[in-house]
Amino acid sequence: MERYARGGLPWLAPGIAFLLLIDLFPLAYAVVISLYSWWLVRPSDTRLVGLGNYAGLVTDPQLAHDTAVSAVFMAGAVSLELVAGLFLAVVFARRARIFDLVRPVILLPLFITPVVSGTMWRLMFHPDLGIVNYYLRRIGIAGPPWLSDPGLAMVALVLLDAWRTIPFMFLVLHAGIVSQPHEFFEAAMVDGAGSWQTFWHITLPLLRYIMVVAVLIRAMDAFREFDIFYVVTSGGPGTATETIQMLNYRIFGFGRVGLASALSTLTLVLVAAMSLALLRLLGRERTA
Amino acid sequence: MNIRVRIACMTLAVVLVGGLGGAPVAAAPGETISLAFLAGYKEDVLRANIAKFEQASGIHVQIDASPYDDLYKKTLLSLSTSANRYDVLFMDEPWVPALADFLAPLDDITKQMDLADFVPSTVAAGRYRGKLYALPVDPNVQLFIYRKDVFQERGLKVPDTWDDVLHDAQALNDPSKSVAGIVTTAGSDQQTGLYMLLLIWSYGGDVLDKNDRPSAETPEARRGAGEFVQLLKYAPPSVQSYSFADVNKAVQLGKAVMAIQWASGARPMEDKANSTVAGKLGYAVMPKGPAGRDPMRGVWTIGIAAKTSHKDAASKFVQWITGKEFGTAAALYPATSSAIHSPRVSVLQDPKVDAALPYAPALLANLRIARSRTRVPQWPDIQEALRQAAAKISTGAISVPDGLKELDASLGRIMAK
Repeated sequence: MERYARGGLPWLAPGIAFLLLIDLFPLAYAVVISLYSWWLVRPSDTRLVGLGNYAGLVTDPQLAHDTAVSAVFMAGAVSLELVAGLFLAVVFARRARIFDLVRPVILLPLFITPVVSGTMWRLMFHPDLGIVNYYLRRIGIAGPPWLSDPGLAMVALVLLDAWRTIPFMFLVLHAGIVSQPHEFFEAAMVDGAGSWQTFWHITLPLLRYIMVVAVLIRAMDAFREFDIFYVVTSGGPGTATETIQMLNYRIFGFGRVGLASALSTLTLVLVAAMSLALLRLLGRERTA
Repeated sequence: MNIRVRIACMTLAVVLVGGLGGAPVAAAPGETISLAFLAGYKEDVLRANIAKFEQASGIHVQIDASPYDDLYKKTLLSLSTSANRYDVLFMDEPWVPALADFLAPLDDITKQMDLADFVPSTVAAGRYRGKLYALPVDPNVQLFIYRKDVFQERGLKVPDTWDDVLHDAQALNDPSKSVAGIVTTAGSDQQTGLYMLLLIWSYGGDVLDKNDRPSAETPEARRGAGEFVQLLKYAPPSVQSYSFADVNKAVQLGKAVMAIQWASGARPMEDKANSTVAGKLGYAVMPKGPAGRDPMRGVWTIGIAAKTSHKDAASKFVQWITGKEFGTAAALYPATSSAIHSPRVSVLQDPKVDAALPYAPALLANLRIARSRTRVPQWPDIQEALRQAAAKISTGAISVPDGLKELDASLGRIMAK
């Protein structure tokens, strides 16, 4: 076995070298840059500041605020996507011809770029011209100021993200459900288990591993979400929906390369820590 | 020394002397220059006219258009690294101090130009520490806009002071008809900070003092920012999410009687196909506060990269884009969303231009008294801190004194970096 592994190494070397070049080298370079005070406006003043950029960031109240906003968005969006995606996956697991026709329609939002969907939803939530408040008015409800109220702006963003990515959850969970072995369900039916008991005691436990993977992927994406925030609210009203990615975008935009690299590294550490926590949970489920 | 080596050394010396200290080489026909430009509403005006320059000069202009935020990033990256991607750069005037070290001084070019025809404040937009690094192309300035028909109907005079504006906004605000007294940007947008700064200036405050030290926490600044918040009480209910485009929409739909907006936003308001108030709007000089009348200047300028190897071709392009011919063509360009106004007095006073742009006299009047933002390289960072503070203040998430205190602390950090 070991001999085979050694023999395969030369064949793997180009791939490993390529990965090192495009993944690890830029990452390591970004970490090195993060130790410098480097402002593009004054490149000649570039100097080593050690952990100075990190110290500046962690003591800046803006970072704590923006990290909290990113976390709230991630928790809200991923929870909604999981529940809705699971519901659709269970419903569509039943064999009916109509579902085959509807399934592609459900997947459509997944293929629209975030900037386009963000622009669409910004117009939909417009207080005077938006379709959301128009229909609310038609049924006698005064439409709320979706994007100018701090709480509602976050709700609007969560709804938009859910609309975009519920299809992803649905797709993954649906694949998980239809591939579950029939024997368990047949045994449950013979034992007189109802639909809810079958779902709770068989479908869900069998799906847990796939659910954790889907949640992990979506949580990482949601924490790093940028496009829809930029297009729909630009971080507003006030700074209510300003995320860690928007902060990074702005810092880099002002040519503060060292500081932006430090923030990128911090974000990477945060996402990695979050992923590890979820993977540990996954590990426990697998060994349990 | 070997004869071949001597010849090589002499050739190298001639090339170096010619390249470094000699007269500029004439632009060769077929030469290409690369231009960093603003995407969207100004870009289409340029693209519609660029063929005239290319045919006359034989120089091809490669236009790389980017949105506002990206334009600064790309420009800065190109100039400060070895990328050296652009020969000519279209820059918002607050960027000039930050980019000056990488730009070629244009004082020589202006010797061949009639600078007297330019509105003086627009030329100042390209000057930094006594040298001219950029020339004006599109002179933007904040305008005070009002509904002439409503003012006449109500027997009101055009407001002269911010207190008059507040009084009229209160009187004209009618939520039952979805008509606001005044509209301005108050969302999480950099314009929000700039409009709050306009009021702060009018009350005698500023964000930096004469020695470039933070000065946002003064009684004058508090009064100015307080007046800004008071005005927002008579703005549309969702004004806290309003961007530049939303202000235009509110005016076009007749949902606001008064507005503060940049001149570049005025043209769509006069578009008869999309504006219910076209022809009904009046444009005035900016109202004054206790400290004076201070419309903010925001001139789009053009500069040449110091490292360019196409200096002569770039110079020719700069002369063309700042010239009277392009200025007139741009001002008369038949589009309703586009706006490049010439910085030349002769163009802005041209009867044809005045007929096409009803706000041209107000644009000129405001430009003559316009004030510039503090000329420091850190201004883009400062503007971001200002945006954050103004956006929080406008939503009521933070009080005016606390917002300005937070702004002052941010400015301290920025200036210390």
